[in-house]
Amino acid sequence: MIEDRELDAWREQWKSAAEPSAEFQRDFQRKVQQRVQRQDRRFMLGNILSVIAFLGLLIFAWYMRHQASWMGAGWSTSICVLVFVTAGIRIWVLRQMWRPETQSTRAFVELWYKRVEARVRLLRISTYLSIGWLIFCAALMAVNWPIIGQDFRAHPRGWIALLIVCVLMQPVMLWYGAGWLRRSKLAELNEVKKILDEMDGESVSS
Amino acid sequence: MSERRHDLETQFDRILGEHGAAISRLAFGYETVASVREELVQEIALAIWQALAHFRGDCSERTFVYRIAHNRGISHVWKRRPPHQPLEEIEESDQPIDPRPHPEEQVAQTGQRVRLMSAIQSLPVAQRQMIVLMLEGLSYAQMAEVLGITENNVAVRLNRARKMLKDALGERA
Repeated sequence: MIEDRELDAWREQWKSAAEPSAEFQRDFQRKVQQRVQRQDRRFMLGNILSVIAFLGLLIFAWYMRHQASWMGAGWSTSICVLVFVTAGIRIWVLRQMWRPETQSTRAFVELWYKRVEARVRLLRISTYLSIGWLIFCAALMAVNWPIIGQDFRAHPRGWIALLIVCVLMQPVMLWYGAGWLRRSKLAELNEVKKILDEMDGESVSS
Repeated sequence: MSERRHDLETQFDRILGEHGAAISRLAFGYETVASVREELVQEIALAIWQALAHFRGDCSERTFVYRIAHNRGISHVWKRRPPHQPLEEIEESDQPIDPRPHPEEQVAQTGQRVRLMSAIQSLPVAQRQMIVLMLEGLSYAQMAEVLGITENNVAVRLNRARKMLKDALGERA
Protein backbone atom coordinates (compact mmCIF):
# COMPACT_ATOMS: atom_id res chain seq x y z
CA MET A 1 0.00 0.00 0.00
CA ILE A 2 2.84 2.33 0.87
CA GLU A 3 4.36 1.52 -2.51
CA ASP A 4 1.11 2.51 -4.23
CA ARG A 5 0.89 5.80 -2.38
CA GLU A 6 4.44 6.50 -3.33
CA LEU A 7 3.66 5.77 -6.97
CA ASP A 8 0.56 7.95 -6.86
CA ALA A 9 2.62 10.83 -5.45
CA TRP A 10 5.22 10.42 -8.20
CA ARG A 11 2.51 10.30 -10.86
CA GLU A 12 0.90 13.42 -9.48
CA GLN A 13 4.21 15.28 -9.57
CA TRP A 14 5.02 13.91 -13.02
CA LYS A 15 1.72 14.99 -14.49
CA SER A 16 1.60 18.32 -12.68
CA ALA A 17 2.44 20.08 -15.93
CA ALA A 18 -0.64 21.97 -17.01
CA GLU A 19 -2.08 21.33 -20.44
CA PRO A 20 -0.46 23.64 -23.00
CA SER A 21 -2.57 26.60 -24.03
CA ALA A 22 -4.45 26.51 -27.32
CA GLU A 23 -2.18 29.27 -28.63
CA PHE A 24 0.94 27.24 -27.76
CA GLN A 25 -0.58 24.14 -29.34
CA ARG A 26 -1.33 26.03 -32.58
CA ASP A 27 2.17 27.52 -32.66
CA PHE A 28 3.71 24.09 -32.07
CA GLN A 29 1.64 22.48 -34.84
CA ARG A 30 2.56 25.31 -37.20
CA LYS A 31 6.27 24.79 -36.49
CA VAL A 32 5.95 21.06 -37.05
CA GLN A 33 4.06 21.60 -40.32
CA GLN A 34 6.82 23.95 -41.48
CA ARG A 35 9.44 21.31 -40.70
CA VAL A 36 7.39 18.67 -42.52
CA GLN A 37 7.20 20.88 -45.62
CA ARG A 38 10.93 21.69 -45.43
CA GLN A 39 11.74 18.02 -45.14
CA ASP A 40 9.45 17.07 -48.06
CA ARG A 41 11.17 19.67 -50.23
CA ARG A 42 14.63 18.50 -49.16
CA PHE A 43 13.70 14.87 -49.88
CA MET A 44 12.39 15.73 -53.36
CA LEU A 45 15.38 17.92 -54.13
CA GLY A 46 17.80 15.24 -52.92
CA ASN A 47 16.18 12.61 -55.13
CA ILE A 48 16.13 14.88 -58.17
CA LEU A 49 19.79 15.85 -57.67
CA SER A 50 20.82 12.21 -57.24
CA VAL A 51 19.07 11.19 -60.46
CA ILE A 52 20.56 14.20 -62.31
CA ALA A 53 24.05 13.37 -61.01
CA PHE A 54 23.64 9.69 -61.90
CA LEU A 55 22.37 10.41 -65.44
CA GLY A 56 24.80 13.31 -65.92
CA LEU A 57 27.79 11.14 -65.08
CA LEU A 58 26.57 8.36 -67.39
CA ILE A 59 26.08 10.87 -70.25
CA PHE A 60 29.54 12.29 -69.51
CA ALA A 61 31.02 8.78 -69.57
CA TRP A 62 29.27 8.07 -72.90
CA TYR A 63 30.58 11.39 -74.28
CA MET A 64 34.15 10.61 -73.15
CA ARG A 65 33.91 7.16 -74.70
CA HIS A 66 33.33 8.73 -78.10
CA GLN A 67 36.17 11.22 -77.79
CA ALA A 68 39.23 10.79 -79.94
CA SER A 69 41.42 11.49 -76.89
CA TRP A 70 43.62 8.63 -75.71
CA MET A 71 42.22 9.04 -72.20
CA GLY A 72 38.60 8.78 -73.35
CA ALA A 73 38.13 5.05 -72.83
CA GLY A 74 39.86 5.10 -69.44
CA TRP A 75 37.78 8.00 -68.16
CA SER A 76 34.59 6.46 -69.42
CA THR A 77 35.25 3.08 -67.79
CA SER A 78 36.39 4.67 -64.53
CA ILE A 79 33.32 6.90 -64.25
CA CYS A 80 30.90 4.06 -65.03
CA VAL A 81 32.54 1.75 -62.46
CA LEU A 82 32.54 4.53 -59.84
CA VAL A 83 28.90 5.53 -60.46
CA PHE A 84 27.57 1.97 -60.26
CA VAL A 85 29.70 1.02 -57.26
CA THR A 86 28.57 4.19 -55.41
CA ALA A 87 24.90 3.59 -56.26
CA GLY A 88 25.18 -0.08 -55.27
CA ILE A 89 26.80 0.72 -51.93
CA ARG A 90 24.18 3.39 -51.20
CA ILE A 91 21.29 1.00 -51.87
CA TRP A 92 22.98 -1.73 -49.83
CA VAL A 93 23.47 0.64 -46.89
CA LEU A 94 19.85 1.78 -47.04
CA ARG A 95 18.36 -1.71 -47.12
CA GLN A 96 16.17 -2.54 -44.13
CA MET A 97 16.81 0.90 -42.71
CA TRP A 98 13.31 2.21 -43.26
CA ARG A 99 11.31 3.48 -40.33
CA PRO A 100 13.27 1.76 -37.55
CA GLU A 101 11.78 4.13 -34.98
CA THR A 102 8.34 2.53 -35.18
CA GLN A 103 9.81 -0.70 -33.81
CA SER A 104 9.96 -1.52 -30.13
CA THR A 105 12.89 0.02 -28.29
CA ARG A 106 14.71 -3.29 -28.23
CA ALA A 107 14.26 -3.82 -31.97
CA PHE A 108 15.30 -0.22 -32.58
CA VAL A 109 18.53 -0.61 -30.61
CA GLU A 110 19.22 -3.94 -32.38
CA LEU A 111 18.74 -2.21 -35.74
CA TRP A 112 20.99 0.61 -34.57
CA TYR A 113 23.64 -1.97 -33.70
CA LYS A 114 23.30 -3.62 -37.12
CA ARG A 115 23.47 -0.24 -38.83
CA VAL A 116 26.71 0.75 -37.07
CA GLU A 117 28.10 -2.71 -37.75
CA ALA A 118 27.25 -2.23 -41.45
CA ARG A 119 29.01 1.15 -41.44
CA VAL A 120 32.15 -0.40 -39.96
CA ARG A 121 31.96 -3.14 -42.60
CA LEU A 122 31.42 -0.55 -45.30
CA LEU A 123 34.50 1.36 -44.17
CA ARG A 124 36.56 -1.80 -44.40
CA ILE A 125 35.18 -2.57 -47.85
CA SER A 126 35.80 1.05 -48.95
CA THR A 127 39.44 0.72 -47.92
CA TYR A 128 39.81 -2.46 -49.98
CA LEU A 129 37.92 -0.85 -52.86
CA SER A 130 40.14 2.21 -52.92
CA ILE A 131 43.24 0.00 -52.92
CA GLY A 132 41.65 -2.01 -55.75
CA TRP A 133 40.87 1.24 -57.52
CA LEU A 134 44.52 2.26 -57.39
CA ILE A 135 45.58 -1.14 -58.74
CA PHE A 136 42.96 -0.86 -61.49
CA CYS A 137 44.23 2.62 -62.46
CA ALA A 138 47.83 1.39 -62.44
CA ALA A 139 46.90 -1.58 -64.65
CA LEU A 140 45.00 0.71 -67.02
CA MET A 141 48.01 2.97 -67.17
CA ALA A 142 50.34 0.03 -67.87
CA VAL A 143 48.12 -1.21 -70.72
CA ASN A 144 48.01 2.26 -72.25
CA TRP A 145 51.65 3.04 -71.50
CA PRO A 146 52.72 3.39 -75.17
CA ILE A 147 50.33 6.35 -75.48
CA ILE A 148 50.67 7.71 -71.94
CA GLY A 149 54.44 7.40 -72.16
CA GLN A 150 54.54 9.90 -74.99
CA ASP A 151 52.59 12.40 -72.92
CA PHE A 152 54.74 11.62 -69.87
CA ARG A 153 57.90 12.40 -71.81
CA ALA A 154 56.34 15.58 -73.20
CA HIS A 155 55.12 16.87 -69.74
CA PRO A 156 57.21 15.07 -67.09
CA ARG A 157 56.76 17.70 -64.33
CA GLY A 158 52.98 17.63 -64.50
CA TRP A 159 52.89 13.84 -64.36
CA ILE A 160 55.34 13.60 -61.47
CA ALA A 161 53.36 16.22 -59.52
CA LEU A 162 50.15 14.25 -60.15
CA LEU A 163 51.76 11.00 -58.98
CA ILE A 164 53.12 12.63 -55.83
CA VAL A 165 49.67 14.04 -55.00
CA CYS A 166 48.11 10.60 -55.55
CA VAL A 167 50.66 8.87 -53.34
CA LEU A 168 50.34 11.49 -50.58
CA MET A 169 46.54 11.46 -50.68
CA GLN A 170 46.46 7.71 -50.08
CA PRO A 171 47.75 7.73 -46.49
CA VAL A 172 45.85 10.89 -45.59
CA MET A 173 42.51 9.71 -46.93
CA LEU A 174 42.77 6.03 -46.16
CA TRP A 175 44.85 5.61 -43.06
CA TYR A 176 44.01 8.77 -41.15
CA GLY A 177 40.51 9.66 -42.39
CA ALA A 178 39.06 6.17 -42.59
CA GLY A 179 40.98 5.12 -39.46
CA TRP A 180 39.49 7.97 -37.41
CA LEU A 181 35.99 7.26 -38.70
CA ARG A 182 36.39 3.55 -37.94
CA ARG A 183 37.51 4.24 -34.37
CA SER A 184 34.52 6.51 -33.75
CA LYS A 185 32.12 3.91 -35.20
CA LEU A 186 33.69 1.16 -33.08
CA ALA A 187 33.17 3.33 -29.99
CA GLU A 188 29.50 3.78 -30.97
CA LEU A 189 29.19 0.04 -31.51
CA ASN A 190 30.53 -0.55 -28.03
CA GLU A 191 28.03 1.87 -26.48
CA VAL A 192 25.05 0.40 -28.33
CA LYS A 193 26.17 -3.06 -27.22
CA LYS A 194 26.07 -1.85 -23.61
CA ILE A 195 22.48 -0.64 -24.02
CA LEU A 196 21.56 -3.98 -25.56
CA ASP A 197 23.23 -5.87 -22.74
CA GLU A 198 21.30 -3.78 -20.26
CA MET A 199 18.07 -4.74 -22.00
CA ASP A 200 19.03 -8.40 -22.15
CA GLY A 201 18.13 -11.05 -19.65
CA GLU A 202 21.52 -10.93 -18.03
CA SER A 203 20.62 -7.59 -16.44
CA VAL A 204 17.41 -9.14 -15.15
CA SER A 205 18.97 -12.26 -13.75
CA SER A 206 21.80 -10.42 -11.99
CA MET B 1 -3.32 11.33 -53.33
CA SER B 2 -4.24 14.73 -51.87
CA GLU B 3 -7.22 13.16 -50.09
CA ARG B 4 -4.91 10.58 -48.51
CA ARG B 5 -2.56 13.37 -47.46
CA HIS B 6 -5.46 15.31 -45.98
CA ASP B 7 -6.54 12.23 -43.98
CA LEU B 8 -3.01 11.81 -42.69
CA GLU B 9 -2.81 15.46 -41.69
CA THR B 10 -6.09 15.16 -39.81
CA GLN B 11 -4.89 12.01 -38.06
CA PHE B 12 -1.56 13.67 -37.27
CA ASP B 13 -3.25 16.74 -35.75
CA ARG B 14 -5.48 14.48 -33.66
CA ILE B 15 -2.47 12.47 -32.41
CA LEU B 16 -0.64 15.66 -31.45
CA GLY B 17 -3.76 16.89 -29.68
CA GLU B 18 -4.23 13.63 -27.76
CA HIS B 19 -0.63 12.73 -27.00
CA GLY B 20 1.10 16.13 -27.20
CA ALA B 21 1.27 16.60 -23.43
CA ALA B 22 2.60 13.04 -22.92
CA ILE B 23 5.26 13.59 -25.61
CA SER B 24 6.38 16.79 -23.86
CA ARG B 25 6.64 14.91 -20.55
CA LEU B 26 8.59 12.06 -22.18
CA ALA B 27 11.01 14.61 -23.60
CA PHE B 28 11.68 15.76 -20.01
CA GLY B 29 13.22 12.36 -19.43
CA TYR B 30 15.80 12.89 -22.16
CA GLU B 31 16.63 16.59 -22.15
CA THR B 32 17.19 19.06 -19.35
CA VAL B 33 17.49 22.29 -21.35
CA ALA B 34 14.08 23.82 -22.15
CA SER B 35 14.91 25.18 -25.63
CA VAL B 36 16.57 21.94 -26.75
CA ARG B 37 13.69 19.98 -25.25
CA GLU B 38 11.26 21.92 -27.42
CA GLU B 39 13.40 21.00 -30.42
CA LEU B 40 13.30 17.35 -29.34
CA VAL B 41 9.50 17.42 -29.06
CA GLN B 42 9.33 18.79 -32.61
CA GLU B 43 11.68 16.05 -33.82
CA ILE B 44 9.47 13.41 -32.22
CA ALA B 45 6.40 14.94 -33.90
CA LEU B 46 8.25 14.92 -37.22
CA ALA B 47 9.21 11.26 -36.78
CA ILE B 48 5.57 10.42 -36.03
CA TRP B 49 4.52 12.21 -39.22
CA GLN B 50 7.10 10.28 -41.26
CA ALA B 51 5.97 6.95 -39.86
CA LEU B 52 2.24 7.67 -39.88
CA ALA B 53 1.70 6.79 -43.56
CA HIS B 54 2.99 3.27 -42.82
CA PHE B 55 1.07 2.73 -39.57
CA ARG B 56 -1.17 -0.30 -40.13
CA GLY B 57 -2.57 -0.62 -36.65
CA ASP B 58 -0.32 -3.55 -35.67
CA CYS B 59 -0.20 -1.98 -32.22
CA SER B 60 -2.27 0.66 -30.45
CA GLU B 61 -1.79 4.27 -31.47
CA ARG B 62 -0.46 5.05 -28.00
CA THR B 63 2.18 2.33 -28.27
CA PHE B 64 3.11 3.60 -31.73
CA VAL B 65 3.60 7.16 -30.42
CA TYR B 66 5.51 6.07 -27.29
CA ARG B 67 7.83 3.81 -29.27
CA ILE B 68 8.79 6.63 -31.60
CA ALA B 69 9.19 9.11 -28.75
CA HIS B 70 11.48 6.81 -26.75
CA ASN B 71 13.55 5.74 -29.73
CA ARG B 72 14.02 9.34 -30.80
CA GLY B 73 14.89 10.17 -27.17
CA ILE B 74 17.65 7.54 -27.04
CA SER B 75 19.12 8.83 -30.31
CA HIS B 76 18.95 12.36 -28.90
CA VAL B 77 20.86 11.38 -25.75
CA TRP B 78 23.51 9.73 -27.91
CA LYS B 79 23.89 12.73 -30.22
CA ARG B 80 24.02 15.21 -27.34
CA ARG B 81 26.79 13.44 -25.45
CA PRO B 82 30.13 15.22 -25.33
CA PRO B 83 32.60 13.76 -27.88
CA HIS B 84 34.30 10.54 -26.78
CA GLN B 85 32.28 10.35 -23.57
CA PRO B 86 30.70 6.94 -22.98
CA LEU B 87 26.91 7.00 -22.72
CA GLU B 88 26.83 5.47 -19.25
CA GLU B 89 28.97 8.27 -17.86
CA ILE B 90 26.51 10.87 -19.11
CA GLU B 91 23.59 8.98 -17.69
CA GLU B 92 25.11 8.51 -14.31
CA SER B 93 26.39 12.03 -13.97
CA ASP B 94 24.21 14.42 -12.04
CA GLN B 95 23.36 16.88 -14.77
CA PRO B 96 21.96 20.20 -13.57
CA ILE B 97 18.33 20.30 -14.58
CA ASP B 98 17.03 23.46 -16.19
CA PRO B 99 13.79 23.95 -14.30
CA ARG B 100 12.64 26.83 -16.50
CA PRO B 101 9.69 25.80 -18.58
CA HIS B 102 9.13 27.20 -22.02
CA PRO B 103 7.29 30.51 -21.44
CA GLU B 104 4.17 29.09 -23.05
CA GLU B 105 4.35 25.66 -21.49
CA GLN B 106 2.55 26.78 -18.34
CA VAL B 107 4.15 24.09 -16.25
CA ALA B 108 3.26 24.10 -12.61
CA GLN B 109 6.76 23.96 -11.19
CA THR B 110 7.29 22.71 -7.71
CA GLY B 111 10.43 21.81 -5.90
CA GLN B 112 9.29 18.21 -5.67
CA ARG B 113 8.65 17.98 -9.37
CA VAL B 114 12.11 19.33 -10.22
CA ARG B 115 13.61 16.86 -7.75
CA LEU B 116 11.73 13.99 -9.38
CA MET B 117 12.76 15.10 -12.89
CA SER B 118 16.38 15.47 -11.81
CA ALA B 119 16.34 12.01 -10.21
CA ILE B 120 14.82 10.44 -13.34
CA GLN B 121 17.40 12.07 -15.57
CA SER B 122 20.21 10.69 -13.44
CA LEU B 123 19.11 7.08 -14.17
CA PRO B 124 20.58 4.98 -17.01
CA VAL B 125 18.52 5.11 -20.22
CA ALA B 126 16.89 1.68 -19.81
CA GLN B 127 15.75 2.43 -16.24
CA ARG B 128 14.65 5.92 -17.22
CA GLN B 129 12.35 4.47 -19.86
CA MET B 130 10.77 2.06 -17.40
CA ILE B 131 10.08 4.83 -14.91
CA VAL B 132 8.66 7.24 -17.50
CA LEU B 133 6.32 4.59 -18.90
CA MET B 134 5.23 3.65 -15.39
CA LEU B 135 4.52 7.29 -14.53
CA GLU B 136 2.53 7.64 -17.73
CA GLY B 137 0.30 4.86 -16.41
CA LEU B 138 1.01 2.11 -18.94
CA SER B 139 0.18 -1.46 -17.99
CA TYR B 140 2.89 -4.17 -17.95
CA ALA B 141 1.57 -5.49 -21.26
CA GLN B 142 1.73 -2.05 -22.88
CA MET B 143 5.22 -1.43 -21.51
CA ALA B 144 6.33 -4.80 -22.86
CA GLU B 145 4.94 -3.83 -26.26
CA VAL B 146 6.73 -0.47 -26.32
CA LEU B 147 10.06 -1.87 -25.14
CA GLY B 148 9.98 -5.22 -26.94
CA ILE B 149 10.55 -7.35 -23.84
CA THR B 150 8.41 -9.87 -21.93
CA GLU B 151 5.99 -8.86 -19.16
CA ASN B 152 8.06 -10.80 -16.62
CA ASN B 153 11.09 -8.88 -17.70
CA VAL B 154 9.12 -5.64 -17.30
CA ALA B 155 8.18 -6.55 -13.74
CA VAL B 156 11.76 -7.35 -12.73
CA ARG B 157 13.26 -4.32 -14.41
CA LEU B 158 10.58 -1.99 -13.09
CA ASN B 159 11.27 -3.16 -9.57
CA ARG B 160 14.92 -2.40 -9.98
CA ALA B 161 14.23 0.97 -11.65
CA ARG B 162 11.92 2.00 -8.81
CA LYS B 163 14.60 1.17 -6.29
CA MET B 164 17.14 3.20 -8.21
CA LEU B 165 14.73 6.13 -8.42
CA LYS B 166 14.09 5.97 -4.69
CA ASP B 167 17.83 6.03 -4.01
CA ALA B 168 18.29 8.95 -6.40
CA LEU B 169 15.45 10.86 -4.71
CA GLY B 170 16.94 10.06 -1.31
CA GLU B 171 20.25 11.60 -2.38
CA ARG B 172 18.39 14.76 -3.41
CA ALA B 173 16.30 15.08 -0.26
